[in-house]
Order: sequence, then C-alpha cells, then structure tokens
Amino acid sequence: MKTVSLGANRPSAVKFRMPTRDNLVPIRVDVEVDGQRYRDAFTWNPSDPDSEIISFAKRTAKDLKLPANFVPQMLHSIQGQLAEFRSYEGEEMQIREKIVPLKIDLRINNTVIRDQFLWDIGNLDSDPEEFARTLCDDLNITDPEVGPAIAVSIREQLYEIASQSVSAMREARVSKKGRRAPEFASNSKAMHNSLDLFKYFGSKGSVVRKRKEWYLYEPVVDVARKEEVGAIDATEELSSRNA
Amino acid sequence: MSPPAAGAASSGEAPPRELYTIPASSGWFRWDEIHETERRALPEFFGGAGGSGFGTASRNPRIYREYRDYIISKYREDPSRRLTFTEVRKALVGDVTLLRKLFAFLDASGLINFSASPSRPAPQKKPDAEAILEAPVGLQVTPRPPASYFVEERGGGGGENGFRLPPLTSYSDVFGEWAPGRGPICGFCGEECSDGSVQTLKDGFKVCSNCYANDESTGEANKHLGDKKERADNHASSAWSDAETLVLLEGVLKHGDDWDLISQHVRTKNRSECIARLIQLPFGEHMLGTINGKSDSKLHKNQTTERKVDKYIVKESSSQPTETVDGMQIDENKNDTDKSNEERPTKHRRLFSSIDPTVSLMEKLVLLTTSSSPDVVAAAADAAIKALGNENPLARKAFHLSEKEYRTRAFSSICARQGDGIVGGQDAEMLGHSVPGNKKGKMFISTTYQVRAAVATALGVAAARAKMLANQEEREMELLMASIIETQAPSFFCMLMSMTSCKLDDSANGPA
Repeated sequence: MKTVSLGANRPSAVKFRMPTRDNLVPIRVDVEVDGQRYRDAFTWNPSDPDSEIISFAKRTAKDLKLPANFVPQMLHSIQGQLAEFRSYEGEEMQIREKIVPLKIDLRINNTVIRDQFLWDIGNLDSDPEEFARTLCDDLNITDPEVGPAIAVSIREQLYEIASQSVSAMREARVSKKGRRAPEFASNSKAMHNSLDLFKYFGSKGSVVRKRKEWYLYEPVVDVARKEEVGAIDATEELSSRNA
Repeated sequence: MSPPAAGAASSGEAPPRELYTIPASSGWFRWDEIHETERRALPEFFGGAGGSGFGTASRNPRIYREYRDYIISKYREDPSRRLTFTEVRKALVGDVTLLRKLFAFLDASGLINFSASPSRPAPQKKPDAEAILEAPVGLQVTPRPPASYFVEERGGGGGENGFRLPPLTSYSDVFGEWAPGRGPICGFCGEECSDGSVQTLKDGFKVCSNCYANDESTGEANKHLGDKKERADNHASSAWSDAETLVLLEGVLKHGDDWDLISQHVRTKNRSECIARLIQLPFGEHMLGTINGKSDSKLHKNQTTERKVDKYIVKESSSQPTETVDGMQIDENKNDTDKSNEERPTKHRRLFSSIDPTVSLMEKLVLLTTSSSPDVVAAAADAAIKALGNENPLARKAFHLSEKEYRTRAFSSICARQGDGIVGGQDAEMLGHSVPGNKKGKMFISTTYQVRAAVATALGVAAARAKMLANQEEREMELLMASIIETQAPSFFCMLMSMTSCKLDDSANGPA
C-alpha cells in the first residue's frame, strides 16, 4: 500500500466537528417499552441548549401518542449520543482531502433505496441534506420521509469516519509513537477505505468511469406494494430478533 | 440565440457538424479552453480562491475539463430531455459535493439543460382564480336548500298527528350540484355566476349581476330572512367557530324547535345557517329528531285539550288502519309511518316522548303503534285480543266475539276493526253522559280489557319493530365485517407467505 503523495494535499488540523457545512449530529433512537417500539432518526444541532432535548422528547411522545414512560428512555438515548459527540469535540482531527465511498441501504415506509457514491470527507462544505434532496428530486421520490432518512444515513457514516480518525489519533498519542505516526496510522487504516486516487486522477487515468461500472454507482429504488409492507416489517423484526 | 461553435467534441474525428442553439449568455464557452467565468465559479479546481493555480492531484484543470466535457456531451446527446445530476454522477469519479457544484454551475450558466423542459414544478399552488372559487376559510357559498325543506318547517304544528321531519339532507341536497372548480353560485337565483359578474351584497351574499340589479330596486327587505322568500338561505356566512357551535347547541337545547330564538341566541348567524350547521353536525339529525319528538308530545297534548277526550285518540288511531287497509290515498297515518321508518330519529323520538310524564298512557300507546305499518298494528291487535281472550272468558265477552269467530285463526282485520271500533264506540258512550247502572259494571270490565288490549297491541307493535331494527343492525354488522376482512386479507396472506418462506429458510439452514 503506497502512500499517496498528492502534492499540495497537506492535512490541516481542525477541532473535531462534522465534516459538513452544518455541524449537525445524526441521532438514532430505538426505544421499546411494553411491546411498543419507537424508532426514529434525525439530526440534532449540538449547540442547542439541553432543555430542548426534553421538550423535543415530550412533544414527540405526545404527537405519536406514546405513553409517558417512553420519554425518559428517549431522553437517555439522545443525551447519550450527544455526550459521545461532545467527548470528541475537544480533540483535533486531521482534515485532508480523502474520498471515500458511502453507501445507502435503506427502507423507508414502502420505498427501498440502495446507492453508492463517493464523498470527500475533507470537504467541509459538503451538504448531505442537499444531496438527499437532489437524489429524491431526480428519482421522483414522492415520500417526503425518504430525503431526511438518506441525509441522516450519510451523516452517520461521516460521523463514524470522523470519530474513527480522532480516536485513532488519540490511541497513537497514547502509545507515544511520535509525531509522524498518527499520519501513518490514519493513512494506513483509511487506505482500504479511501479511493486509490492515483488510479483515477493520475496522468494516465480518467475520471470518467467505465460504462460497465456505472451500475455500481447508480441508485436503485424499489417501491413495495402496500400489502407487502406489513410482511417486510415482520420479517425484518424476526431477523433482528434472531440475530 | 446565437449559433454556437461547432458541436463536435475535441477529439480528432470530424463527424457531421451539429448545430446546437445555446443561450447567448453562454457564448463565451469554448471546448478547448477554460474561461475566466469557470475559474471564478469553481476555484477548487484551480488551486484556491485566486483561481490561477493548478490545484491538487484530484482537482486540477485537466480533471475539471474531463468532468465538464463529459457532462455537456452527455446533455447534448439528447438536448430535449433534462439531464439530472444523478445520471451523471454514476459515471464520474470524484466527490459528489464538488460534482454537484460543478453541475449546478453548468446548469445555471446555460451550458446544459438550456432547451430541456422545465424541471418539475414546485408543489402546485392554487392559481389565484381558484382562491375565489374554492372559498377558503372566510367564505362559504351555499346554494339554496331544496324548497321542500322549509315548507315542512312551516307546515308543522296542528292538524297533523305527528310532526313531519324534514327530509334528511345529503351532500347533494345541501350543496346542490355545486362542485369545486365551478363558479360561485348566485345566492338568489341559484345559478352559477359567469366570471366577473359576481357581486357581493352588503350581507356578504354572492349574487350574479342580474339578481344584483333586481335587488337594488326591490330594496332592503328582500335581504332579510323573509319567510316568503327562500333566498335568505344563501347567506354567504363565515365559517363556524367552535364557540359559535357551542352557543348553537345551547340554543337548540334551550329553545328546542324555535329557530328564531336560536338564531337570536347565536347572534352572528341567521336561522338558515343555524339549521344548516345543525344538520352538518354528526349528531344533528338526532337533535332534530329530539326536538321534533318534544314538539310531538306537545302536539298531542294540544290535541287532547282540544278534544278533551283521551280515548278519542285510540279511536282515531284504530280508525286509521281502516282507511289504509282499504289501500286508499296517503293519509296522515301513512305519512307518519313513512317518515318514521327513518330509523334513528324515530328511535330517539320515541324514547323522549315516553319519558315525558305529562303524556297520558293512551298517547304513548298511540305513539308506539304508529311506529309501524298498519298491517303490523292490526296483527298485533289481533294477537293481543286473542291472548286476552285466552286469559279470561270475560274478555271475549267484552270484545263481543262469538266463540266461533274467536277460534278461527284467520282473524280478519274486520274483526279487529270491529273490536277496536267497538272499543272506541263504547268509550265514547261511556265518556258520554249518564250510563245506565246495570251496564256500568260491564262497561268497566270491558274498559279494562280494552285498555289491556291497547297496551298489548302497542307492545306487540313495538316488539315487531324492534326485531326488524335488530335484524337490520345485524345485517349491517355482517356487511362491515365482510368489508374489513376483505381489506385485510391481502396483507395477511402476504405476511403468511413470507413467514412460510422464512420458516423454510430457517429449517434449511438450521441443522446445517
């Protein structure tokens, strides 16, 4: 695995944050109380005051007609995820241009969507919401819940990558391997994830993909029939219980 | 639109030159160059803000041109269709955010999608004209309710045995043939107003220009709720707020059937609006029935006091089967039964009237008996008399029936009629003036039996009707159950299938 030296591609260190234009944290909640299940995924602004979390949880429970004993668990879940985010916040992370493939494999109501695309995690100007919006518009997806679900999924993947690099750095520092080591470590760890840029961006390559590979990077959307939705739900739950 | 540079790509071949029409504003574009506009718009490719550098390995002018050329050529393969970002990004290697930015730049500067159909329009907003036609919250245009509605209203009261319920309105009655999208309906003549001729009167009526002209001349009086003119019904009122509805209900409970008082109580709405609103409420019909029931019993009381004799009512009701059994014209009793065949109001009506303690027993019995068709009443009377006869031989005497007649099962309605008629006649006699003493005892006994017969008849009739209603309910329930099952069955079967296949998979993989 060669280290790609891409000339001006020097890493710069910034405070940990979501590598997107809006620093929004993806939150996923999955609470089960008395046989009732509440699953949800949304984005949260970490600079919002914590009192907002409580009012959000209460309001959600009221809107969805959930019993009141959902609220503490929801609260706990959301606060936990936010706390984890905040624990990274003091750290520094290396920001450099790194193109990684992101995947989408979601089922929202009766729409199934699978997709793969390349994302530069060093591009602090990226916008998952806009990407999701464009995707839904281009594919004529009418269900308004699909876009936000895609955006949250993207954010989750970005968050994971970002936090991985931070924790890798932390480890490296702890093990006292010296200054250069972090770069190496993060490089080598991420190599299998990130794109072999040289192949494409080098002087002999082309950024236009071969036609036969197009299908890999094309979104696939499937809309299930109404009756099937109940069946799909049930099978998923079964498999998740067995797993 | 200026004719462009040649359409051929920068390859060496010389295909037939195709002319593309591109917007004049993008005339600066050249295939083999990168224009200043591009550098400024996408500095990432050109080494930062200045746009003069050479960027990084993955973002440099060469790469930029590859992206750009690909996208534009892709579009030009079919200029009439709108090229979407999703289509191109599958073929391009690179950060999607950056590609998106590039794509947006090309789109905005007219280099792609310039002759494509416009993108999907934003969620349809109602065109302005519709705002008037569809009458959002502030307006409510209602055409004249069917004329019969108000005739019934005023026709009620004395002279009828029962209060005539107005025919229950359906959507088409209340709104006539008005449908969304049609023009506003004139409040006076009930016709659709052609565009532009809608005038609004002081009260908020919407009228067509003809009626407006007429109205001007006839003056204020017409705009009021004249009993004579039914136009008053079409007051384009404001929507009913919760508070107003509450006040309306209060008024109805307090004033019952007196719509003038009610509309006074609800100060902001006139009487036709009150009525219309009440009907539209889910339980409105019940309330109407209730109100009618109350006035019903009042009615009977009036009749009683008029004629001063309770028993006459029995006579009247018993004479009614006579008339109708002959199959003659629709008489009052028939009307009663027709209307009272409409179920729920009648149910409640009965309930209310029977609770009222000021109504005499006979009146209640009469009410009960009128709830079914005269044949049923006759049959019930037969059965009642027969049952009483079984109980006590004296009863038979009271009903002046011969043994032979009694035993024949085929109790013709004539007998019943006779029996009832005798009942009535004897009552009249009895309540007449002096009665010979020796007859008195007999009279007394027979009166008792008559009363009992009447009660039994009424009960029989009520029972018959109840059974009928119960059957109906049951059929309804069956129907609903069937439709539920029908709807649920497909999803249930689907789940079953998937479960089965799941199980099969599990068992196949399990032991292995």
